[in-house]
Amino acid sequence: MKLECKIEEIKNKILQVERITGKNLTLPVLNSILLIASGKSLKLRATNLSLGIEVEIPAKIEEEGMVAISGSVLSGIFSNVFQNENVFLENVDGNLLIKTKKSKIKLKGQSHDDFPTIPRVVGTSFEIESKKLIDGIKSVYYSSSVSDIKPEISSVFIHTNEENLVFVSTDSFRLAEKKIKSKGVPEIQGILIPFKNISEILRVFGENSSVITVCFNKNQISFSSDDIYLTSRVIDGVFPDYRQIIPKTSTTNAVLLKQDLLSALKLSNIFSDKFNQVNLKVTPKEKVFELSSNNNDIGENKTYLDAALTGESIELGFNYKYFLDCFQSINTDSISIKFSGASSPLVVSPVSDTSFTYLIMPMNR
Amino acid sequence: MNMNTKQLWKNCLVEIEAGISKANFSTWFKHTSIIKEDTGIIYIGVPNEFVRDWLINKYHKLITKTIADSYENMRAVEYSIIKIENNREAEREEVLPTGSEAYINKELPLKDLYINPEDNLNPRYRFDSFIVGGFNELAYAASQAIIDNPGTKYNPFFIYGGTGLGKTHLIQAVGNSIKEKYPNKKAHYMTLEKFATDFISSLQSNKANSFKEKYRKYDLLVIDDIQFIGKMEKIQEELFHTFNTFHEANKQIIFSSDKHPNYIPELADRLKSRFAAGMIVDISPPEYESRLAILKVKLQELNIDLDKEIVEYVASAVEGNIRELEGSLNIIVCQYRLKNRPLSLAEVKNLLKNNMKPKKNMAIKDVVKIVSEYYKLEETSVYEKTRKKEIVRARQVVMYLLREDFNVSYPLIGQKLGGKDHTTVIHSCIKIKNDLKNDPQLMQELEQIRIMFK
Repeated sequence: MKLECKIEEIKNKILQVERITGKNLTLPVLNSILLIASGKSLKLRATNLSLGIEVEIPAKIEEEGMVAISGSVLSGIFSNVFQNENVFLENVDGNLLIKTKKSKIKLKGQSHDDFPTIPRVVGTSFEIESKKLIDGIKSVYYSSSVSDIKPEISSVFIHTNEENLVFVSTDSFRLAEKKIKSKGVPEIQGILIPFKNISEILRVFGENSSVITVCFNKNQISFSSDDIYLTSRVIDGVFPDYRQIIPKTSTTNAVLLKQDLLSALKLSNIFSDKFNQVNLKVTPKEKVFELSSNNNDIGENKTYLDAALTGESIELGFNYKYFLDCFQSINTDSISIKFSGASSPLVVSPVSDTSFTYLIMPMNR
Repeated sequence: MNMNTKQLWKNCLVEIEAGISKANFSTWFKHTSIIKEDTGIIYIGVPNEFVRDWLINKYHKLITKTIADSYENMRAVEYSIIKIENNREAEREEVLPTGSEAYINKELPLKDLYINPEDNLNPRYRFDSFIVGGFNELAYAASQAIIDNPGTKYNPFFIYGGTGLGKTHLIQAVGNSIKEKYPNKKAHYMTLEKFATDFISSLQSNKANSFKEKYRKYDLLVIDDIQFIGKMEKIQEELFHTFNTFHEANKQIIFSSDKHPNYIPELADRLKSRFAAGMIVDISPPEYESRLAILKVKLQELNIDLDKEIVEYVASAVEGNIRELEGSLNIIVCQYRLKNRPLSLAEVKNLLKNNMKPKKNMAIKDVVKIVSEYYKLEETSVYEKTRKKEIVRARQVVMYLLREDFNVSYPLIGQKLGGKDHTTVIHSCIKIKNDLKNDPQLMQELEQIRIMFK
């Protein structure tokens, strides 16, 4: 293998790919990146057997070939040493020589025979702008359960509903649903992408603005753009029937400024107990929207917010963290909160935007 | 050849392990198994696509050769992905309550979906758990014929019977069996209500065409509780067209209803005749022996041993539908577990006393009126002192119903029905009770009379 390419290119790609190498796996070759020089490009491949990635870098290939090099070593080198110029890579007796104008590095390679292939997903496919896909995932993924006791909910659930691609996550204490308008997407009964793989998918495609081809079957899903191919295993399971728990009617409604609520919640947090509990009291007749929290060691706090209120009075407690989380998905200035009794979930949504719905379960007192 | 695939794979793994490095072995061969052997093709189950890809690319030759060495009938090896059951069930129960958050923060009432979203069939309904007795023999036989020849033998298949007699179980089991037997056939189960709401919402969003497409892509359509279709004219029309498309393409269609199609009110004639074109069978309430058999199977499932006496009592006391039978059994089992000792017959009787039948209040006069109307007799004749056979029978039925359904005391019944002695009343009740065990005609009569009470 012998080739020349731009440092800036290879550096970015190595940092991207390195995150997906297998750590702590029994097969040592999995913690390396496989460099494949063929045709007019250099391909980098890595996998942890749950995710697999292959990226392409334009390069001048003098001699084709491949070599596997430890991912952490490569990323360490490329994130520190070089300036913006061209780099020469050469495989000599299984070792990798890296040459630039100012440095010469020799790295020990690993046997690439044992480096696995990455599954090419065969199944239903559709195209979507990466911005839409990322927006959908980003709007909900923080709500998924982090424990892997129940793999079905430790995931982001994607399905279609009419002309929307719907993203859902829940950890059974709160639930986020985001609908993205997307024409031409085939009917999807449901794909469960493991939560652990979601952050990598976001990182790889987060900055990307191209069109992504998504291809999926019952076991695997892949995302590919011009130079990236990313594939993830999907969870074989059934997401709970969440639609039936979204309250259809409400007894109390509140509309208020997002910024007001955000500051009030942050203030309440200082006084909240170890369960992050904040109490909420809404009395539409007296036009009072009150947030309060108290902590035996610090003191207590009450904040009154301006809000448009209708319906019955209600009083309940909730975990303020769950509330704060959803602000990242709400882009409007004001938000609407709907209550339907002290023991059913609150429904939070942006005003005049039906694409996002967030449910929070109240706390027991 | 009957071979033990588990043992075969174990032997092969030992050989494969010797040939490759330990790291490779544990990465690629952990969690693999032989799922099945079918006419010489060995299906190997692997945990994910990464493993499948690599086994095919790298180890296929080795695997094929190793298996071939110890199993000469092998023709090919295939790989398929299987779900690894996580062995954390026990852990799950322990972990959840310790999280302090779980204590204080209520969970969203999320329910697991056991129903396959693609076909709507509940995998729990299978023929393994379906008990066949005299009351549903015909329906069972017809459904087996349909599984063997879907779309051609009996199309449509129309099954009717009272609530809780296992109609849904049967039709879903047909769906599940067809799905298993013909993996490329698409089955779909729904209630009529779902069909109707789908239709209405498709009209609202101006997508009537996509509605037609949606259902017509299936090879087997199962529609439950079709009796509600009366009065829904538009739905009848749509169902009619869907039905025609299915029938022309020789695709099986199955309906269930609680009434014979002729008695579904306001059902269009064209649908009536189409329902009748295939096979119409009814499921009647289980007779005593079947109830006994059902109870025994349920007890076995629950792994509980009840006294023969008690089981027989429950089977004779809880008449009518299977759902009630299960309910009564659940009460007994719950008490059994609570008390942690076998229950006595008296206790069981006491437990079931309130659960057996809803006690309604109805004047004795009205009961007599309804029964005499049903048997087309003069109301007054029931009160008369006569031994005409048909009147005696009607009088006994009145007594039985008054006692069983309305809990009227024996002397009072006797007094109200023309000054009979209470022993006469007791005799009548016992007689009807015994007759019920082996007279389906009588059972149906009582069933219909009870409906008139409502």
